[in-house]
Amino acid sequence: MKLHFAGLLAAVSLGAMSLATPAFAQVTLKIWSIDGVDRVGIADTFSKEFDEANDDIVVEYRAIPFDDLVNETLRAFATGNAPDIVSFDNPDFALFSSRGAMLDITDRIANSSVIKADNYFAGPLNSVSWDGKLFGIPKYTDTIGVFYNKDLFAKAGITEPPKTWAQLTEYAEKLTDPANNVYGATFSARAGEEGTFQFLPIIQMSGGGYDHVNTDGAAEVLDLWKKMVDNGWASKDVLSLGQWDSTGTFNSGNAAMAISGPWEVDRMVEDAKFDWGVALLPTITEGGERSSALGGFDWGIMSTTKHPDEAFRALEYFASQDNRIFAEFGSIPARSDIELPVTGVEKKDAALKVFLEQLQYAQPRGPHPEWQKISKAIYDAMQQALTGQMSSKDALNQAQTTIDGILGK
Amino acid sequence: MRRFLGSLRDGAGFDILLVGAAMVFLIAMAGLPLIYNVLMSFQQVDMFTLGSLIRPWAGFQNYIDVVREPAFWLVAKNTFIFVFFSMGGQFVIGFALALFFAQNFPGASTIRGLFLVSWVMPGLVVGAIWSWILAGDFGVLNTILKNFGVISSNIFWKSDPAFSIWAVVIANIWLGLAFNMLLLSVGLAAIPRDLYEAAELDGANAFQRFWTITLPMMRSTIGAVLSLGLIGTLQQFDLFPAITEGGPANTSTVAQFWSWQMSFKLYDFAKGATISVMMLILVLIASIIYVRSTRHEVRG
Repeated sequence: MKLHFAGLLAAVSLGAMSLATPAFAQVTLKIWSIDGVDRVGIADTFSKEFDEANDDIVVEYRAIPFDDLVNETLRAFATGNAPDIVSFDNPDFALFSSRGAMLDITDRIANSSVIKADNYFAGPLNSVSWDGKLFGIPKYTDTIGVFYNKDLFAKAGITEPPKTWAQLTEYAEKLTDPANNVYGATFSARAGEEGTFQFLPIIQMSGGGYDHVNTDGAAEVLDLWKKMVDNGWASKDVLSLGQWDSTGTFNSGNAAMAISGPWEVDRMVEDAKFDWGVALLPTITEGGERSSALGGFDWGIMSTTKHPDEAFRALEYFASQDNRIFAEFGSIPARSDIELPVTGVEKKDAALKVFLEQLQYAQPRGPHPEWQKISKAIYDAMQQALTGQMSSKDALNQAQTTIDGILGK
Repeated sequence: MRRFLGSLRDGAGFDILLVGAAMVFLIAMAGLPLIYNVLMSFQQVDMFTLGSLIRPWAGFQNYIDVVREPAFWLVAKNTFIFVFFSMGGQFVIGFALALFFAQNFPGASTIRGLFLVSWVMPGLVVGAIWSWILAGDFGVLNTILKNFGVISSNIFWKSDPAFSIWAVVIANIWLGLAFNMLLLSVGLAAIPRDLYEAAELDGANAFQRFWTITLPMMRSTIGAVLSLGLIGTLQQFDLFPAITEGGPANTSTVAQFWSWQMSFKLYDFAKGATISVMMLILVLIASIIYVRSTRHEVRG
């Protein structure tokens, strides 16, 4: 009897042990992104789904506020605690991929039946490329265009949205109505990434790029911007307002045109009590070269991961769900093979059509490992010119000198 | 052994133990990070070497690079304006309020206590509130100034290079006012009343009493308040991201914000460390003044 009891005990404890260790080895994937900090987003939703759909993989998802994401990842990488998968804003991606912190997944993508490089728009794909190799895949994309208040346009007798920057300035003057607190235009020329986001496209449409900023065309448009600010056709506060707040003044009817992107559309449908539309970003000369900013985040696997196969499976799952992200999260997939559904909201669908066209001209910021410094040189020059501390040309020349120093020319 | 244990309980050993505990704490919590920071300012730092102590030596190159930055002298000027006028404003208005509340009218101490509300508020909250007050098109301050006829068109406090640094100075004066007033009130309360009575009997007027009694008796307090004000102002960071973000075109960037921007926005950790070392030297001077003024106080 005693022996039986001991045997039973042994059997029970053996059973307990086998329960504690699962039938097969589990892999833990750490995924970091900004989604889920203030509202549900792509990364947290899909990570959870991937976790539940795969018994052999446990996903530890962590939401990190936008401002801390790069710093937190840098610190984690330096101390050997980096996540397996991380989602960065596209200009930040090169900081990591250029230093070997991201896993080269060129071959994996070539062999994948889910992820096909050809399906992605060129701009977003460029942001995950470095040295001819792919280090990630685009998560979603966005860009900027011109929102315009059709009621105010009709009142001022203007029938068409502006085609060139000179026209936009001319319309801004006509639309300005100080008695009713209406500015002709609003945009974001803030001292930060948003400022570069809005100004770099102008450099690009003048034939320049982040490595060549002191073009005549860019100086010309910067002079026009300054004219708008100096004459009160745009608020002086464009120098400190972010895009979200700046477009807020458009929604409340205090600005007749606003430069911003598709993330504004849902709020505008709610808030704006007037008829509005979206137009492509103006060009420097009529029919001239087009460009626009390229926003959006990228997915990447960090090179320190111990589970590259499982991490890539996760990316494949995320990519396979791209057709859901517009309907569920309002984000535009960075892919040409996905037909976006019609929402039935007339203005929203019309706006989306314009932004999809605009996306074809969107160009990435960089990619460059020291993008943040280049970006600062660009928005500093823009602000120096707009505040009249330097002429547009001089400010851009100074930025060029700084950028040449960074690029090691 | 026994004598050793004995001295630990009561004697030189006990003193050394106390000093040792304090020193270990100081070195671990303040000394090592400080040394690490100074070391970083002489090294080449990037994201790969962020975690290691031994890095390529850069000598004074980081210092030379910082001084050569186009924004260096602008930032130096802004830092001077910010520190000098914040401290000046906080001190003068704080002293005036302290003297005012020293008049002991009914409710004086309660109202004085309420002034502390501004001091207990987090800098980011204060920054957000002032950011709305100072807003250009729909700001409260502009509306008030316009209604009083002081200005005819809006001042763009946050976006006009002529005003941006002053926007932060105003907010910082408001934030630090209560602390200055409180410390100065304590100093005022410590002055014996009979001194004033004797002076009054001798026929001294209010200004003479202030100049010959209040100020000399407050010397050490004033020294301490000014030094703490300097340290506090150089540490003031929260207001900048909340109000101007250093813009437009760096016209409201001060050294502490610049250092943060270099390290955590541009990821140039070496330059960020270099700027903070430069500031450290300034704070060190202030600390020496502070320590000397409080030592004077102890000796009476």
